[in-house]
Amino acid sequence: MAQRCAVTGVGQTRHDNKRIDVSQFGLVREAAIRALEDAELTWSDIDALVIGKAPDLFEGVMMPELFLAEALGGTGKPMLRVHTAGSVGGATAIVAASLVEAGVHERVLTVSYEKQSESNAMWALSIRVPFQQAVVAGAGGFFAPLIRSYMRRSGAPEDTGIRVALKDRRNALKNPYAHLRFPDITFEQIADSPMLWDPIRYLETCPSSDGACAMVLASESVAKRARRTPAWVHATAMRSEPTQFAGRDQVNPQAGKDCAKDLYAKAGISDPRREIDCAEIYVPFSWFEPMWLENLGFADDREGWRMTYEGVTALDGDLPVNMSGGVLSSNPIGASGMLRFAEAANQVRGLAGEHQIQGAQRALGHAYGGGSQYFSMWIVGSEPR
Amino acid sequence: MSDAAPGPAFSAHHVVEYTYRRSVGPVLGRFFTELRERRIVGIRRADGTVLVPPAEYDPDSGEALDEIVSVGPTGVVASWAWVRQPSAKHPLERPFAWALIRLDGADSSLLHAVDAGHESAMSTGMRVRPRWREATRGEIHDIECFEPEGAS
Repeated sequence: MAQRCAVTGVGQTRHDNKRIDVSQFGLVREAAIRALEDAELTWSDIDALVIGKAPDLFEGVMMPELFLAEALGGTGKPMLRVHTAGSVGGATAIVAASLVEAGVHERVLTVSYEKQSESNAMWALSIRVPFQQAVVAGAGGFFAPLIRSYMRRSGAPEDTGIRVALKDRRNALKNPYAHLRFPDITFEQIADSPMLWDPIRYLETCPSSDGACAMVLASESVAKRARRTPAWVHATAMRSEPTQFAGRDQVNPQAGKDCAKDLYAKAGISDPRREIDCAEIYVPFSWFEPMWLENLGFADDREGWRMTYEGVTALDGDLPVNMSGGVLSSNPIGASGMLRFAEAANQVRGLAGEHQIQGAQRALGHAYGGGSQYFSMWIVGSEPR
Repeated sequence: MSDAAPGPAFSAHHVVEYTYRRSVGPVLGRFFTELRERRIVGIRRADGTVLVPPAEYDPDSGEALDEIVSVGPTGVVASWAWVRQPSAKHPLERPFAWALIRLDGADSSLLHAVDAGHESAMSTGMRVRPRWREATRGEIHDIECFEPEGAS
């Protein structure tokens, strides 16, 4: 039987497109200090560090965890680096939680980050490889055809994506850490924004952000002594599958479905739509909200768009999604998954500020990465399970 | 199975190039700014010792550091290795030493090149001074190299 584990501290940076005021050290430090202060702990209380980020290529520093350890008080402590592409922020939190659940450590500090201003991650992975047709279309170019495929199979109204973007951009105005803020944003502004990769418009796309997120994962005995309410980890799950294979459903990947099914079984959830109070899911392009609602079992296949369309996923809907403004509003890639997990935790702690869902008791944090091929998820609750 | 000889194996030259920018933050930013003015600074730790180059966070305790102090510009060679045949990428065209240099007022050593002319002129404990580049830019190469303090 695994030990109980809880989130007792959450911290994040102000996200922006260029945080040239800080080094990579300073960026992770800003998030970590806030998590420690929230948990009312000091560096010396921490037993181990788990650090995550997307490919080293994005900043051009090989194995940055080696030099980041001292900025995170890691001298003389176990330190581990996690990498699972865009899902890494979630996977990193899960590894940290596992160390507590396994009874190895009592207090683990987990930190993830990206400093996109040090390079151009949108194009970093779009290189010309010998003997292959070079698409060189960036991340949006990879996902646009999947979205078009979803639109065809679901018959969703063309403006579904615009509605998602409008909701998330309005939610971001309630989040002091969000990178993109468009006061008085309108449906028309999004609809009229340039078409970047058909059908993805500029304002339906995530930004490139510098930012970090940190959490303190603690054992039951530590969490019960915490002054602020902890978020109890009810279940975690990860799955992966290859980018391409014959018969792969890239729009609704099997790995994501399996991951969610496993997660709900571990958390004792039989009807996620009813039993989960709110969800932060990884939506870098607006249309991924309805796509993931189906993949996560919140809606039947081809029906996810109805939840968006009918306002179910709005802050005042019965399953609010991306209360923080989501990846559409802040995207420090390596940290983006952890930000989802952290928002879920703060919701059940009742500490989500202006975008708090009243009475949230059980929340989902979700991240995906690669070519929709890595999934990491957790369920957190206001009470131990 | 065919017993025909395999065809030629294809291979291609593949160069991946990518540009970066580096935000160094307030502490290393100050170090580089001072180099541009031909000054060297370190940072004081809680126990009074001084690190050069300065670190943002104490490597042992993790505490944030902010007390910038002037050091050097002269110092002593703490350790060195002679480079007999410099390559095109080395800072000097003639034989030189890579050395750990403890600048006056510092408690840690800085890695840099020493232009002593000949290996026999190098010794641990020898005093050195920086040779500044004519046009400084705010980077470690503003110090072209160090040279023996008595050299003309």
